[in-house]
Amino acid sequence: MFKLALRTLRLRKGGFLATFVAVFFGALVISACGGLMETGIRSETPVQRLAAAPIVVGGQQTFEQPREDPATLEPEDKHKTETATLPERVRLDAALAGRLRAVPGVTNVVGEVTFPAQIGASRVLGHAWDSAVLTPYTLKGEAPKPGEVVVDAGLGLAAGDTLPVAAHGTVGRYRISGIAEAPQAMRDSALFFAPSDAEKLSGHPGRFDAIGVFGGDVAAVSAAVGDAGVVTTGVDRGALEFPETGKSAENLIVLSAVSGGLSALVMVFVVAGTLTLSTQQRQRELALLRAVGTTPRQLRRMVLGEAFVVGLLAVAVAVALGPVLGNWLFGQLTDHQVVPDVLRFEQGWVPATVAAGASLLAVVAASFVAGRRASRVRPTEALAEAAVERRWLTPIRLITAILCFGGGTALAIVTVAVMTGPVAASTAGPAVMLWAFGLAAISPGVTKLVATLLRWPVHALTGVNGRVALRNTRVGAVRAAGAVTPIMLAVGIATANIYLQTTQEAASNQAFTEDLRADAVVGAPGGLDPAVLGRVRAVPGVAGASEYVTSTVFVEKPFDSGQNDDGRPALGISELTGNAVEVPSTLGHHVGDTLSLKLGDGTPVDVRVTAVVHQRPGFERLVLPAALLAPHTTLGLAPQLLVQAAPGVDAATLTARLREATAGLPVFVGDRETLIAAHAKGNEIGAWVNYLLVGMILAYTVISVVNTLVMATARRRREFGMQRLSGFTRGQVLRMAGVEGGLIATIAVLLGTLVAAGAIVPFCLVVTGSLLPSGPVSIYLVVLAIAVVLSLVAILVPAWAATRGRAVDATSAGE
Amino acid sequence: MTTGWHEAGDAVRLDAVRKEYGGVVALDGVSIAFPRGGFTAVMGPSGSGKSTFLHCAAGLDRPTSGRVVLDGQDLDGKNETYLTKLRRDRVGFVFQSFNLLPALTVEQNVVLPLQLAGKRADKRLVERILAHVGLDGRRKHLPGQLSGGQQQRVAIARALVTDPAVLFADEPTGALDTRTAAEVLGLLRDSVRSSGQTVIMVTHDPVAASYADEVVFLADGRIAGRLARPTAEAVAERMTHLGAWGRVAA
Repeated sequence: MFKLALRTLRLRKGGFLATFVAVFFGALVISACGGLMETGIRSETPVQRLAAAPIVVGGQQTFEQPREDPATLEPEDKHKTETATLPERVRLDAALAGRLRAVPGVTNVVGEVTFPAQIGASRVLGHAWDSAVLTPYTLKGEAPKPGEVVVDAGLGLAAGDTLPVAAHGTVGRYRISGIAEAPQAMRDSALFFAPSDAEKLSGHPGRFDAIGVFGGDVAAVSAAVGDAGVVTTGVDRGALEFPETGKSAENLIVLSAVSGGLSALVMVFVVAGTLTLSTQQRQRELALLRAVGTTPRQLRRMVLGEAFVVGLLAVAVAVALGPVLGNWLFGQLTDHQVVPDVLRFEQGWVPATVAAGASLLAVVAASFVAGRRASRVRPTEALAEAAVERRWLTPIRLITAILCFGGGTALAIVTVAVMTGPVAASTAGPAVMLWAFGLAAISPGVTKLVATLLRWPVHALTGVNGRVALRNTRVGAVRAAGAVTPIMLAVGIATANIYLQTTQEAASNQAFTEDLRADAVVGAPGGLDPAVLGRVRAVPGVAGASEYVTSTVFVEKPFDSGQNDDGRPALGISELTGNAVEVPSTLGHHVGDTLSLKLGDGTPVDVRVTAVVHQRPGFERLVLPAALLAPHTTLGLAPQLLVQAAPGVDAATLTARLREATAGLPVFVGDRETLIAAHAKGNEIGAWVNYLLVGMILAYTVISVVNTLVMATARRRREFGMQRLSGFTRGQVLRMAGVEGGLIATIAVLLGTLVAAGAIVPFCLVVTGSLLPSGPVSIYLVVLAIAVVLSLVAILVPAWAATRGRAVDATSAGE
Repeated sequence: MTTGWHEAGDAVRLDAVRKEYGGVVALDGVSIAFPRGGFTAVMGPSGSGKSTFLHCAAGLDRPTSGRVVLDGQDLDGKNETYLTKLRRDRVGFVFQSFNLLPALTVEQNVVLPLQLAGKRADKRLVERILAHVGLDGRRKHLPGQLSGGQQQRVAIARALVTDPAVLFADEPTGALDTRTAAEVLGLLRDSVRSSGQTVIMVTHDPVAASYADEVVFLADGRIAGRLARPTAEAVAERMTHLGAWGRVAA
């Protein structure tokens, strides 16, 4: 049977082109997503600043968080835990450096301090000069004494000049004592201070960001470090130099898993469609095979064999090209700062293997669908003149549809009844797929039904060719459904994903805007000197001002069952002092309770609940004193002050006065709009990622739809010829084809909208309380336009080509 | 006309076979036996049930009631795979048109039934059969490169390759010109004469029917008569008195 499959393939290359294209692009996308995932899992960031140190010791950035209440467990029970990552930099005690110096074989131990600094508008990283050997930098000039700096050669400054440097909330003037040159390209420019200056400016004297160890072996160093930190070598050192890559890498894994998985599912749909179409067009040939003694099983194996060979070829090409697309996607992600560009793109054989396996599995699943249909071909059809469409509603289709609709309904109920706020989005993705799967299973029936419902408008708008088109769509419902299903899927996925995004964004912006009581903001990227708060409060027209610090805390005691490894968002404000905390009412604490928290850098602290506040669902956070929270963030200082105007003082006056009061300080002053815009910008990155992935899946679906429709229409040469012989003009045939394309697009758009609505409506009910999503209508209109234009072009162009020449030739041509 | 159950010597036997399609009766209690080594033509006007008769006799379709015994095997209650294998081993088919796989060469088309059954094709047997149908020089050709008559001869070779108990032919000359048709019919008759093949041919062409040993007439789903050693004229004469035509003529 396999040999026969191969021979058929060789002769009928054209008929399998659609399947090839569908598998190729599917496997390409999966492979590229695999590459992104491998990059995320490996999370390799080659060291720059710490390149010269063979061993680098850093803070323990992760901890084991119990997943069950330790109080309810017996002492001998094993605790189930999950690894949580601390979002703020965990620093090392300087004393550790001294202990490491005593390790036999160690020749040098260098503590590294890194802090943000600003020279005019350009941002640099400040370090102590004695740590320049970690890179190593070569010096032209002299090492800095207190009040002096050595600048990175890349900054283009001259020795001897005096340089104003903003760091740790203040501006100091330093004399440039020398120029340092890095041995390699560096992402960040460096500024080296005298060690005593650096210690002061870092804001955390006595603690290092990392410690470089020269000489000695890893085991001995690890033994000396013990629990106090983590010991890294090779490419792993990069994680200590660029700790922000950890979270990005995690996001990259989730992102690529979701889009890769979605592509694989879409591929099953699309390939099942092309295979079904090609077996349908070979119905007579298959019936003949049955008549001369091919068992249904052999026929299934033949269909599988053909699909598998085509799939194998397509997968081979796709896997070879996968890294190209993967690299391009990665480039887009780094360009838009979704992932840091220091992360190294890595696509080895694992994604290739996974993509090949997943794609071939999708092909096998799809050929199972097509093969079942093929094997049900009756041998007598070889003898009949025209193959009639048989009953399409099999028990399997019906059960699939019922299960999917049941699942979709259940998800909708769960979303509305249980979920709150943005979390509701997590059920929307699966809901889209369930509704789409369900509709696809019964698509011939649904297509026929909608075509029947569209009878009146079509009759009203078109003439005889419209009537024929309507009959074609209804009688050939199985064929029409083959084109409807992928368009429905594309419209459904695109509409659902985009409007989920815009609704979520709108809800988040609305929550931010409504909760924001500030009229102006004073901020500094390198952190604000705590003294600025007093200065701002003293400005006339200021009713109140508060530091604004955001971080994450982990509730340790009492056990917080609703907390996952992302912890709880925390906000630091100046109104609170001491060890006070205000908790959202949803956590179930009472005033006077004591909470044991782990702050963002892992420091444990006990706080007392001073208030229980009702907060917007989905946007709950613990409110702590800024003075308690800020020192345990990476920056060590509050990055922003929020200012409220006194009654009667307008925004312009307020900001002008604030600018006046903070003149000479390294800060910026903005109004309410600045804050809202900054918040919206943060959302945009997430939106952009979503658009990229939706775009990729859409492009894939579009390619598949076009190639399916082109194939299906080109094969109708004979039918068009017959119509022309029976009195249709060429124009009428083309108009009929146009109406068919329009019908297919309309049906697909209606069903796709239904699919999207199945996911969006429950979500919107939860998030905004309205049935309709927030976001511009234009997106939906664009999706509709794309669907309609594509269907028309994909049907009309091949129909135009198929009706060229004389009608008689078309009818006498063999199949 | 009818025979008892114990006579297993017939190639095909139908007993009170009735076939309905959604309430329309296509075969109305047909009982007939075809002896081995005979060449029988089944004739009748359009709608007389010729095709249904062929499908039921060959095990391609199941009767609504009644039984079919093919080469001693009762087809009643057998599943599709069993019937397929039975057809593969015991039955050969020749169709009016579109009957070769376009992707396969002449030789590959001919040995296909053997390959489907998982048997090795005996090279000498294939050569002998291709020589028999006069196509030994065109083994590597694709069907598209052959004339209609040549394609039909390939189909006959394919039907004969399994040495079937019965060869069913459905309008085998319907798509051929008269000279080519004569060659194909002669080939079928030779198979009966020289190797004792049983051939059952459905046709509406009196000339084609005249090549058979006997003609069975069908009308309105019933057997309307038989004619031994037919001539084209005699067949044509009988045809005008069949079914609705017959009633009008009478």
